[in-house]
Amino acid sequence: MLKVSNISKSYGDIKAIDNLSLEIHTDSIFGLLGVNGAGKTTLLSILNGLIEVDSGEIEIFGLDIKRDKKEIKNISSIIPQHLAFYEKLTVKENLDFFARIQKANKNSIEKAIEVNSLESLLSQSAYTLSGGQKRRLNIAIGLLNNPKIIYFDEPTVGIDPKSRNEILDSIKNYRDLGTTVVYTSHYMNEIEKICDEVAIVDRGQVIKQDKLENLLSNRVSDSVFVECIYSEKLKTLNLDIKDSTIIQTTSDKLIKILELLKINNIYLKQIKYGATNLEKYFLEVTS
Amino acid sequence: MFFAMIKKEFLLLLRDKHALLALFVMPAIFIVIMSVAMRDQFAHENVVFSMKIHNLDKSEKSKNLISSLESDNRFEVLNDDSTQFVLEIPKNYKEDSTQKIKIVVKGSLKSDMIEMFKAKLLKKIMNLELKNISENLEQFSPKTSKALDSISDDSEMFVVSYEKDIAIPNSTQQSVPTWIVFGMFFVIIPMSTIYINERKQNTLARLNSMNISIFSMSISKSIPYLLVNQIQVWIMIGVGVFIVPLFNTPALEINGSIMAITLISVALSFSAIGLSNLIAVSATSSEQATTIGGILNILLGAIGGVMVPKFIMPETMQEFAQLSPMSWGLDGFLDIFLKAGDVSMVLKESFMLMLFGSVCLGISMLILHIRVSRGL
Repeated sequence: MLKVSNISKSYGDIKAIDNLSLEIHTDSIFGLLGVNGAGKTTLLSILNGLIEVDSGEIEIFGLDIKRDKKEIKNISSIIPQHLAFYEKLTVKENLDFFARIQKANKNSIEKAIEVNSLESLLSQSAYTLSGGQKRRLNIAIGLLNNPKIIYFDEPTVGIDPKSRNEILDSIKNYRDLGTTVVYTSHYMNEIEKICDEVAIVDRGQVIKQDKLENLLSNRVSDSVFVECIYSEKLKTLNLDIKDSTIIQTTSDKLIKILELLKINNIYLKQIKYGATNLEKYFLEVTS
Repeated sequence: MFFAMIKKEFLLLLRDKHALLALFVMPAIFIVIMSVAMRDQFAHENVVFSMKIHNLDKSEKSKNLISSLESDNRFEVLNDDSTQFVLEIPKNYKEDSTQKIKIVVKGSLKSDMIEMFKAKLLKKIMNLELKNISENLEQFSPKTSKALDSISDDSEMFVVSYEKDIAIPNSTQQSVPTWIVFGMFFVIIPMSTIYINERKQNTLARLNSMNISIFSMSISKSIPYLLVNQIQVWIMIGVGVFIVPLFNTPALEINGSIMAITLISVALSFSAIGLSNLIAVSATSSEQATTIGGILNILLGAIGGVMVPKFIMPETMQEFAQLSPMSWGLDGFLDIFLKAGDVSMVLKESFMLMLFGSVCLGISMLILHIRVSRGL
């Protein structure tokens, strides 16, 4: 269990993390969603012991981050958004280097190579790899210390769909093998595809945290989306219109809006309750 | 862990061809070019003047002068057009004292070199005249003849000593330590480039997340460059000893102790690495580090006697030069090469260089600590 209680972190006058609390269960994939600058990367850096908090408590597998930072670093690993390895070294030289400085054994190197399908690339210089291969090397380095918890900071940025799916599948494998995964991404469909639980971070605070299916359930939202056939008259009705044809409202105002549409001879296409997918839900709660 | 970090740094450096060129090839080329180009400018007592002689006189007197010049190792009489001077001995040189020897200066020579040549030539002619007078006087006044003989030999008439402890190097003795010092400080460029790339690509943050301390990072980065600097020193000394003489320029003579060379070069390296670390952690991009490093290197070199030798600087500039660590290193090497210096002679310079390096390294670790605590 990873327990974060009321942590805050400021850079001068800017509050990057503001009294944030959350709980992450072991052996799960936990998604962190938030716009750029919401505080996701700062939070990951704090959880990994790279940045110290100004206040608050963090407990990871029973270890206190202030007291047991070294041990926490030993059992965790961060896969940074940027490719954090040496381009001028070969794949093998990179893996050997990062393994030796962490005193990882040969089995760990072999496992990282196998899980990320790097066998045929070992003698290649890292800068000659494709985008997807580089991402896999970046991930493989993070697995060398057999971490109990891995933090993925947008690991699929800039790669093709095939490589992305391979990476997502391998992340699900880590969870199945008993590793806790914390995953941040801009791609909502990735979060939907692999995460068990999601927290939405906005302005350094967790504004929603729940199981993915609960967030996607209609019950959690009061919003109603009325989609119409396009009509010029829609613009004159003084309603909250998105994408030219979708009226966003709440259930108590629905009857009045339907009457208004009927009077103006605007035809309905469909009515949807609550968020239909994570992206819409995310936009709704962060707007 | 340490060994892995050192190996990584070596591999990165060996694959950086531009850095290798800057560290090894550039100073080696500079040593050869500057030693050869400055050969005559640095020549003093041991200078050899080359000349071609046109003798229009054919008398015994002129023949004596020519044979005297030919037998003197400070003059080189050649029969081709590569000489510095052409000497024309006029007709009736023996009989007509108003006839003057004509000197043609070929190419561009400094006026003090021309004056030195004229003085040495005059001494030669005067000695021959005195010898002639002495021979003529011998039967009339043997005492006077003997006295004249004693002052007409070729030995030096003066003993020169310097009030200050100054030793004037030849061009090789000046060039080798100069470009060793300058070349060693060029580690700023590869070191800061690798450091900044690591920081920008989050590799440094990754290393930090793997429990690698800032102290370990800084020291493990420094050791490979310490070794690189030592290789540089011995390659440059090798160029001075073996390559420079191939260009008709004096070879470097190592008169001092090897231990002293090792001490001053380790201290100098520590100083260069400390400064490199400081620039690497302070700069925000490799372009910025390369520019700042390059400018600082040239400024320290200009102040410290790399561009212009300290002994020809005005006294105030010589005092100002003491602010540059390059000057301390240069003084140390010159003490070893010129004054057969031992370890005790370079202790002061070595201490100052180590102190400078330690202060720079300390500040760079502090800056890195602040950066790391802010998430790099």
